[in-house]
Amino acid sequence: MRVSLEWLAEYVDLPASAHDLAEMLNGSGTAVEAVEEIGEGFEAFVVGRVLEVKAHPSADRLSLCRVDLGGEVADIVCGAPNVRPGMLSPVAPPGSRLPDGTRISEATIRGVASRGMLLSEKELGISEEADGIMVLEEGAKAGARLSDVLAARDTVLDLEITPNRPDCLSMLGIAREVAALTGQKVKSPEFALREEGAPAADAVRVDIEDGDLCSRYAARVIEEVGIHASPWWMRRRLQAAGVRPISNVVDVTNYVMLETGQPLHAFDLDLVKDGHIIVRRAANGEAMTTLDGVERRLARDDLLICDPSGPVALAGVMGGEHTEVSASTTRILLESAHFDPANIMRTARLQELPSEASYRFERGVDPGGCVRAADRAAFLMQELAGGTVRPGAVDARARIIEPVSLVLRVRRTAAIIGADIGGEEMASYLRSIELEAEMVKEDGGEDTIRVTVPTFRPDLEREIDLVEEVARLYGYGRIAPTLPRSSHNIGSLTPQQGKRREVARILAGMGLHEAICHAFISPRWLEILDPDRQCLPSAPVILRNPISEEMSVMRPLLLPGLLEAVRYNLNRQVAGLLFFEMGRTFVPRAREKLPEEAQKLGCALAARWLPKQWHRDAEDVDFFAAKGILERLMSSLRVTSWDLRREGFPFLHPAQSCAVSIRDRDVGFLGLVHPRVAAAADVPPNTAVLEIALDPLIAAALEPLPYEEIPRYPSIQMDLAVVVDGGVDAGEVEDVIWEAGGELLREVRLFDLYRGDQLGEGEKSLAFSLSFYALDRTLRDDEVRSVYEGIIAKLAGGLGARLR
Amino acid sequence: MAAKDFLDEIRADPELGGIYEEARAALESAADSEALEGVRVAYLGRKGRLSVLLQGIKRLEPEEKRRVGRLGNLLKGWLEKALADKGGLLRIGEMEEALRREEVDITLPGRAFPAGTRHLLSSIIEEIEDIFIGMGYRLVEGPEVELDYYNFEALNTPAWHPSKSLSDTFYVDVPGSGSDDVLLRTQTSPVQVRVMEATPPPLYVIAPGKAYRRDVPDATHSPMFHQVEGLAVDEGITLGDLKGTLEHFTRRMFGEERDVRFRPHFFPFTEPSAEVDVSCNICGGSGCRVCKGTGWLEILGAGMVDPNVFGYVGYDPEEVSGFAFGMGVERIALLKYGVPDIRYFFDNDLRLLRQY
Ligand SMILES: [Zn+2]
Repeated sequence: MRVSLEWLAEYVDLPASAHDLAEMLNGSGTAVEAVEEIGEGFEAFVVGRVLEVKAHPSADRLSLCRVDLGGEVADIVCGAPNVRPGMLSPVAPPGSRLPDGTRISEATIRGVASRGMLLSEKELGISEEADGIMVLEEGAKAGARLSDVLAARDTVLDLEITPNRPDCLSMLGIAREVAALTGQKVKSPEFALREEGAPAADAVRVDIEDGDLCSRYAARVIEEVGIHASPWWMRRRLQAAGVRPISNVVDVTNYVMLETGQPLHAFDLDLVKDGHIIVRRAANGEAMTTLDGVERRLARDDLLICDPSGPVALAGVMGGEHTEVSASTTRILLESAHFDPANIMRTARLQELPSEASYRFERGVDPGGCVRAADRAAFLMQELAGGTVRPGAVDARARIIEPVSLVLRVRRTAAIIGADIGGEEMASYLRSIELEAEMVKEDGGEDTIRVTVPTFRPDLEREIDLVEEVARLYGYGRIAPTLPRSSHNIGSLTPQQGKRREVARILAGMGLHEAICHAFISPRWLEILDPDRQCLPSAPVILRNPISEEMSVMRPLLLPGLLEAVRYNLNRQVAGLLFFEMGRTFVPRAREKLPEEAQKLGCALAARWLPKQWHRDAEDVDFFAAKGILERLMSSLRVTSWDLRREGFPFLHPAQSCAVSIRDRDVGFLGLVHPRVAAAADVPPNTAVLEIALDPLIAAALEPLPYEEIPRYPSIQMDLAVVVDGGVDAGEVEDVIWEAGGELLREVRLFDLYRGDQLGEGEKSLAFSLSFYALDRTLRDDEVRSVYEGIIAKLAGGLGARLR
Repeated sequence: MAAKDFLDEIRADPELGGIYEEARAALESAADSEALEGVRVAYLGRKGRLSVLLQGIKRLEPEEKRRVGRLGNLLKGWLEKALADKGGLLRIGEMEEALRREEVDITLPGRAFPAGTRHLLSSIIEEIEDIFIGMGYRLVEGPEVELDYYNFEALNTPAWHPSKSLSDTFYVDVPGSGSDDVLLRTQTSPVQVRVMEATPPPLYVIAPGKAYRRDVPDATHSPMFHQVEGLAVDEGITLGDLKGTLEHFTRRMFGEERDVRFRPHFFPFTEPSAEVDVSCNICGGSGCRVCKGTGWLEILGAGMVDPNVFGYVGYDPEEVSGFAFGMGVERIALLKYGVPDIRYFFDNDLRLLRQY
């Protein structure tokens, strides 16, 4: 809501500075978003009378004007199409500066000298009107200072009005706030309407058929109007409010709407059949053409203003084209009505037709203010359009919306606010915003205030609404900051929450970067990852109204976002593509509305694991980079009950992938991405990924750890190198070693893998470092030797291994 | 007998004196351990001059034998000590020299231990969590795909409210069910309702998480963003308690020197409601582009829990009162770290991630 202070000052005395006023409004809940100065520096401009207009010799669109500036006549080049001899216009002389900062100098435009500039309203910064130069009203003298002729100096506050305060969508509503905050009374506009001729009811009839959607419809009749432009003061105020002036009659309806908050509509009464207004629901599929020339299809819940031949307006939203006021209009039917807020909102949204009127109706206008607004507009039409006003308003009321009565408990109010405010003080705050408030002292009971809420405050329906009024008028700034006195609150992370943070820290500590990816992905990803839907849901969680197809599916895996992060950085030649993310994935559940949301941990590693350094070669990412991340994560979390199992996944390399299990339950996957996926996702072929469910990981990490006795006797280390067939996994060999090693074997570590010339075709050599010790004695060489021999025998027997 | 005395005696003896003078000169000129060892061998080795001399004394007269034996042994003692002293000096010098040869170029880069990062938004969320944990709050969570009931209805949002429209809220297709009340939560506030439903008062909780609104991405809008929601319900909670709590939080988060301002505002599920501003750190309150000339930066929405919300969850508003607040994590990050565009947070550009 744009509020002109020049205008506002008509209803209430304002503080000396706009800044103080803004602070005051901010403090009481009307946020000031901007303060705009208008008409500054108009002393530098002068009034010019255009004497002569000639075509510019070398430019079609430009004209060459001789302009009387009082003492002198200047040649000025002008591009406006509306420039005519005889008109009065503002002129910026050389050396002056426009409100947007442009400096005007003597210039040569297409070979012709121009001494200054004829100005449009936009160039003056008083409206958006840029199509032509501004035409000043007759009476001004050429050469006069513009600031003496045109009262344009103003400050405009741009206010954010919260949806609960429709009363503040008017100058009088804002004046009421200022009055309450400064201890004044609002000066309502005084006017004396002169009514003449036959009663309005003789010319107009109103029938409300759907009273649930229209509680009141008041109409006035103004005749013998002359349609022309409004005077400067009204145009300027409308412009300051951001409303474009059109003609006196239409401007008056907008002006009174801005003044009172009551939207009005002027029909050309001669075009309303029989002067008969019918307020009714539309028939399904009924059509009408609105003022903007658009034909609109309507449905049963849209409310129409009709005459006996059909719709004349879309109620509360926009008038109809057919009954629009035009230059030839002489008789006006003025509508001032009250419509159901939710219904107007629905229609305005469905028709995508937000208007100043619907904006107010959908928040709620004062059902008690219809007639007064109509009277005020009739008076202004009388004044500005020379109209004669028929006696009386036709005031059709389907039902009467009564003021609400409420009871405010004093002690409770003070307790909620946490400030020591007395009952009388509370009552005075409520009275300051024009509520009726009566103190009721109860013997032994709680003091209460009986409050009657006027109909212009539809937001005040409950006691708590009044508590808020008291709090904001008392001033939030005056409420002392305290902390809850409770001793119930003990703050901490749960063990699970603590572990989740730890997981993130471990991964960052390993050199991975935490990513946060969008939770919605393109359906294309499902095709790339799992075209046959072997492991992804055949029907994922889909948005009904995505912003785009690219963001229309809720991710069933973290993988897509991580691969996108890889690609994004790769495309920008950024190295170190090591990412992890902790977030949710979404999978529909049978017979449940809400999908399963699983907390997942995902990692993606691509291209270089470590860059080339002066002392070491680069290391490329492979399967074992991802495995190393998982091993280190598990060991840091002290999780031992996990395992990998060869397993295919449609999006992973078939020979370099596995399922991850924790406590014998599958929790995710690890491997290189499938070359098909790498190509489609535009990531390097050596991109390794890992994705596991977080909850089982954290549960395993929270298992208590038993104490393991620390050996006090020396251990014996032995190396074991065996040659096996290339098809035998290292893990199989290790399993046999453990099995044969018995209780003296405490540690097995693979430290070398060799394939090559020294071995037979298809063979490999694995070297392990073994560590033996006993807790109760120093081991003898011969007992370790015999265990060692046993291991070798078992390896030879079970796996056909031989010593190397 | 003082050393000088026996050295005088030795010098007085032509043969011993000669050995002494020569040995002394040789010691002095020995430049390294190898040369010094040569000196030792030349005098004290099996065929060294002093050794040979001492072996030869048994052929001397008894008195001469005693004198030369005594002086020869004294000379031997002196020489052994002088060799040891000189050897010590030479070894120190030689070690220093050897270490000098091991000099490294300290400007070469160190061995690289890969350094990862937490996402800036995660770090900020943890910072917020820790401040509230310090004030006695617990962390709770709720689903991101939510029911209209929790996201709107039980938060006192009227059925016709514009924020529920298809242009503002993402709705989820639930095939076959015909239901149109499944959506991506537009705020973390539904967690309030779920927690109150499940837990009797008192309650001091915060709920960090993702929220979604159907905004086309631009510098200040993202269809996915993060919020931290807070809720305190207990007997006798006041608007003053809300003020004190959020003042404490704001100063911890933004700096103890910052001013905090509470402005009345409107939210469907709180009443009285407030917006909380912190003084602009860029202009210090005098007004600049970032604070749009106001000197204040809006960071929080808050208010006393509306009695209607208590009605939905079965709390008695005559028995307990409470406050709730919510803040946008991205906005805090934008203000605190000057990141110019909200979309940067979800690009996962390593050049940004590595900065924090
Ligand atoms: Zn600033």
